[in-house]
Amino acid sequence: MKAIFKREVKSYFTSMIGYVVVAAIFAFISLYYTANNLIYASPDFATSLYSTSLVMLFVLPALSMRSFADERRNKTDQLLLTSPVGIPSIVLGKYLAQIAVFGLPVALACVMPLILSLFGSVSFVSCYAALFGYFLVGASCIAVGTWISALTENQIISYLATFGALLVCYMINSIQTLFTSGNTMAFIAFCIILAVVSVLIGLLCKNVTIGSAVFCIGAVALVLLFKLRPAWLLTAFNQALDALALFDPFIDFVGGMFTLSGVIYYLSVIALFLFLTGQALERRRWN
Amino acid sequence: MIEVSHLTKRYGNHCAVDDISFTVDDGCIYGLLGPNGAGKSTTMNVITGYLSATSGTVKIDGHDIMEEPREAKSCIGYLPEQPPLYVDMTVREYLMFVAELKGVRPKAARLESIELASGRTGLENMQNRLIRNLSKGYRQRVGIAATLLGDPKVIILDEPTVGLDPAQMIEIRSLIHDLSKTHTVILSSHILSEVQAVCDQVLIIAHGKLVAQGTPEELAGRLAARGVIAATALGGRDSVLNALNQIDGLANIQITAEKGNEVSFTASSEAGSDLRAALSKALADAGCPVLSLTGQTMSLEDVFLQLTETVPEAVSDQTEAPAGDRSTEVSGDGADSVKEPDASAPAESDTGSSGQGEVAAASPEDRKPDNDGTDSCSESTTEKSDAAEKEGEES
Repeated sequence: MKAIFKREVKSYFTSMIGYVVVAAIFAFISLYYTANNLIYASPDFATSLYSTSLVMLFVLPALSMRSFADERRNKTDQLLLTSPVGIPSIVLGKYLAQIAVFGLPVALACVMPLILSLFGSVSFVSCYAALFGYFLVGASCIAVGTWISALTENQIISYLATFGALLVCYMINSIQTLFTSGNTMAFIAFCIILAVVSVLIGLLCKNVTIGSAVFCIGAVALVLLFKLRPAWLLTAFNQALDALALFDPFIDFVGGMFTLSGVIYYLSVIALFLFLTGQALERRRWN
Repeated sequence: MIEVSHLTKRYGNHCAVDDISFTVDDGCIYGLLGPNGAGKSTTMNVITGYLSATSGTVKIDGHDIMEEPREAKSCIGYLPEQPPLYVDMTVREYLMFVAELKGVRPKAARLESIELASGRTGLENMQNRLIRNLSKGYRQRVGIAATLLGDPKVIILDEPTVGLDPAQMIEIRSLIHDLSKTHTVILSSHILSEVQAVCDQVLIIAHGKLVAQGTPEELAGRLAARGVIAATALGGRDSVLNALNQIDGLANIQITAEKGNEVSFTASSEAGSDLRAALSKALADAGCPVLSLTGQTMSLEDVFLQLTETVPEAVSDQTEAPAGDRSTEVSGDGADSVKEPDASAPAESDTGSSGQGEVAAASPEDRKPDNDGTDSCSESTTEKSDAAEKEGEES
């Protein structure tokens, strides 16, 4: 794991990507920090940080896109997978290297509240809680990106797919407002999900009957739910969408509400996607 | 020692490796030989743990590659078809990385290991060059050097000389030869001469099946459908033929030329047996001095082509074995007469009545050994057609 970690970090900084990512993130944080906190003289560092969260959507996929896609394209994954190193070590080594690159500008940003405190009273707790939240969001984005990178061997596809996925997570709140208007929307959404799942099951089993059966049973259950307990569908749907809202706990952190559940949410997202990455690598050996 | 048993790898409906079993003993060079797409690389990928087998097991030094991957993988140094090089690193950085990946500790041991590997592969002066800027031959050497790190017992090289110029090929071959003194080497190739030159043991793979195994000489000898003997003896046709007919296992006696008392003929011996001595003795006993006697065995190339030939339908027609074809040609005094091989007795009288034709003593009993000789071929054919049937059923 240590070897892979060292190689990855080194590789990020022999190519441009490492510098670009560090520079872009730090530049935007500095920009908002200068404008809001230094020039406008606001002690609220958290809001400045929040304003730059959109930058992560563009920059972090660039960090994660190459992690596994590039290895696969150059066939260097053969070296890693035939070495006496377990898949968890490979995934962790690569992931931690990305975290290290992303952590650099975040670490630099830690100085900013200190500078601010020279000019007046600053709530260090809220500043560093927000910064910690910022780091966790970034780490989760990288985990998602790493997983997507393990699914493809094309870096561009990896970048775009990660960007798309993160964008949906970013916009999920506004998407959600579209659906609160009615139960029917939730019903339709569930029907579409069911249809997609049925088709996938049918394709996986190579059996039309199984796919159709899954769809029929699911449809009956959905219709019954819709007739008898329409509110359940809506709440279930909203909860599902809530889980996708990757940036929500961070917004809470920025608002001054540091919750343990938020931290646990991010840690579980990271663990889930790293696990899926390992599974994607494992699955490739079988196909 | 590597034990591969009943290894099968399927990609969907396509069977890349079909029930291969073999054992690799320590201290030899093994060659996997087969045409492109025969399943060599897949076999190697499964042995090294890059791919998982659909069924079957691979044990390396007693460690199952699926159950104890770490122990098994640490016994292997693997160079895939395309060397897995990070082109943005220098040679030294790359070798350091691989050594650390293979768990060579501490740093002093890593340096020593790299020194040794670089020395053996001639990379001493390339240490600080970027891999991106290296030629293909040097990249291959870096790949081989990387397999040597950690001193694995087995070194597996997938087509190590592909894309190299002849001088580099010779260098890599001599390097492989050198490696075999300290390691067990398995290499794959579709180039016959290479395998023949380098390997102690050859495994021929075709269509995902192991069709033959042995030393290059064994394969050329044992699998030769017929060891053909060409000889010339003095003493007239009848006495020569009489002498020849007394030798067990000699078949397809054909007289190719006759000048006065001098009779030239070819005859084929049973697979794996050398009847030259017996033939010479029998002729001498019959009072026919032997003027010349040469044995011609099939080259490995012939064996290879025969074993890896496709088109099951064409080969499954066993009655039309090449042996039969050749015995149909009877030549003498410039006049050629052709006859069916199975109709030996009546044909004999036919040619006899013509007064000038020579006899092809190809009785069904005599031809039996030929069929045995081509058995390996027929087996693979029937297996192939079985597989084809199975596939048909599945779809």
